[in-house]
Amino acid sequence: MLEFVFLLPIVMGGAAFFLPVSLGRGILIVAALLHLQLTVMGWLGKLDPYFPDYFSSSPEGLLVLLVTSFIFLFISIYAISYMNETEMQSEHIFISCMLLFLGTMSMVTLADHPIVLWIAIEATTLVSAPLIFINRSKEALEATWKYVLICSVGIALALLGCFFITLAMDIKEIDAPLTFSSLNAVAGQLDPIWLKAGFIFIMIGFGTKMGLAPMHTWLPDAHSQAPSPASALLSGALLNCAFLGIYKVHVLMHVAGLGAYSSNILIGFGLVSMFVAGIFILNQPDYKRLLAYSSVENMGVIAIGVGIGGIALYGAILHLIHHSLIKSSLFLSAGNILLGFGSRLVKKTGNLARLFPKTFVAFFAGFAGVSGFPPFGIFISELLIIMGAFQRGRFVVLAGFIFCLTLVFAGAARIVMRISFANAGEDVLVEERMLRIIPSYVLLLTSIGLFLWMPETIFEVIIDTIKVLGGSVNG
Amino acid sequence: MINLSDAILVLILLSVLISLESNRMMTLVKIMGLQGVMVSLVPLFLEQHQAIGSGGIIFFQIMILIKGLLIPGLLYFAVQRVAIKREVEPLIGYHASLFFGLIMILVSLFITEKLQLTLPGGHSLLLITAITTLGAGLFLMMSRTKAITQVIGYLMLENGIYLIGTALTKQSHTRYVVEFGVLLDVLVGVMIMGIILNNINRAFDDVDTALLGRLKD
Repeated sequence: MLEFVFLLPIVMGGAAFFLPVSLGRGILIVAALLHLQLTVMGWLGKLDPYFPDYFSSSPEGLLVLLVTSFIFLFISIYAISYMNETEMQSEHIFISCMLLFLGTMSMVTLADHPIVLWIAIEATTLVSAPLIFINRSKEALEATWKYVLICSVGIALALLGCFFITLAMDIKEIDAPLTFSSLNAVAGQLDPIWLKAGFIFIMIGFGTKMGLAPMHTWLPDAHSQAPSPASALLSGALLNCAFLGIYKVHVLMHVAGLGAYSSNILIGFGLVSMFVAGIFILNQPDYKRLLAYSSVENMGVIAIGVGIGGIALYGAILHLIHHSLIKSSLFLSAGNILLGFGSRLVKKTGNLARLFPKTFVAFFAGFAGVSGFPPFGIFISELLIIMGAFQRGRFVVLAGFIFCLTLVFAGAARIVMRISFANAGEDVLVEERMLRIIPSYVLLLTSIGLFLWMPETIFEVIIDTIKVLGGSVNG
Repeated sequence: MINLSDAILVLILLSVLISLESNRMMTLVKIMGLQGVMVSLVPLFLEQHQAIGSGGIIFFQIMILIKGLLIPGLLYFAVQRVAIKREVEPLIGYHASLFFGLIMILVSLFITEKLQLTLPGGHSLLLITAITTLGAGLFLMMSRTKAITQVIGYLMLENGIYLIGTALTKQSHTRYVVEFGVLLDVLVGVMIMGIILNNINRAFDDVDTALLGRLKD
């Protein structure tokens, strides 16, 4: 039963709320391991959906599910040590919401019915809100309020988009079940005007959740105020889930012959996101916000890659995987820096290389990775997107893309150098610990590993994902 | 005989206008309760939904309970707990808001007329009501300073979208399980917002959104 993949963490999350905290930590790790095992079984095709009207395993969903499950395991290992160190007050709520968050995100990846997908995405907002305001500071409350309200309103608009897509089917009197797979089968007969309207609303709605500018305003606040393991999850897993919603509708548009329209919208939002992120990164005083804006930028990269299509689409999917791995690792390192210096401000930090050598290696390597240096996977994904833009002759997009990448790199490099090497005092609040170092190393090493050698199954699933949109590795 | 569904729709429109004009928090909450009940009654009286199975009846009753009783009840307690000053505190005056509501009706009339080309006919009033509710919800969120009014605005937006959903699509697609999921999301959303509101009130001693300006670049 495919539904176990999301039912398991939801049930265990519910249980963790009532059980004593000492047991809760164990449950977190056990649930993460069991979830990874279920995910692998899903990949091997051993699980069939019990409610095929609502859920199915699509290749794009499986990809996001695997990424989510994999990074969740290491984030939960980190979270255990983190909770120890910070003496978190409502630990049972934190553990319970982490698991519920995993469950709802898995539900997003498996949903096949547009409105079930909507329900799952809205549910991710609701269960992740307590993660952000767990320490109840004024800033955290403000961030949570913005997050819940902006995302809820945005996602409500996406519901309107879902209704429009249903209408596109009703107007033409097509009698088919409302699932993405059957919609794709009848896509050619759907009403194009309502489809376009639906896509716009879904783009705005799920785009809010994905962090595309100009609807990204909640993202830097929420990511900077949340405890670091939660930030890592928000950035590494949640944004992908929202992207999945847009991607599925984009596929529908493409099959319906409106691919050019939705591609251009995706590219437009992508470029704006990259540019806005570049501007705000330039003089960013807060390093967690820096990472948050970098997420906005990377979501823009993915949107552009999907919009261009062809080999760039392959690049975009690779980018999604590697961004999740590297960015969650970066947020975990940032958590160590925050614990060590006790401040989110760049100017209160410094000399990371000497005070926290192990964190420094992870942080600096992560920065190199996210900026697109080999041997990290983002090098190849961005290269493929650039090649794709050349092949399709989209030179204006290409120019904007490269300009924004340079802008982001220039802004971020200065800050990362400052944190790593500037003179600072010798005060260290919390020493680094192996349990909080290993997860970020593993995530980075996975990215290098996938850069050097991509397993055949993953490669095939990526090809399955992009072949509907006419994407391939040969351009 | 007066068409019953039209009467309900007019009541919804009235509730929208009253909510734009009301200056007391409690009135606003009560209006939302009324609107919730009315919105959940609409599908029952539409012609296309004449045959409703037993599952459907249970669903509609739960929906009336949630939209008409549970959510306004939660809001009621939230107002009692957090609102020290009970006034709505608008950024845009009450009369101007009311005027906006009337203009919104005209705009939705215009939109509906435009769309009539491609729509299955007979639901023009439903569509007008839905778009007005949606627009007024957004307006309420932007033009009032109290955080709790933003929750009410969000609910109104959701009501409008639900009405558009019932107006435009055939019931056969969205089964009750799915609609129930949407409803549950809204309910939990209001609960979470209530919890955050309570915490905001404790931390800031007020629920004015002007206080929420610490995080910026």
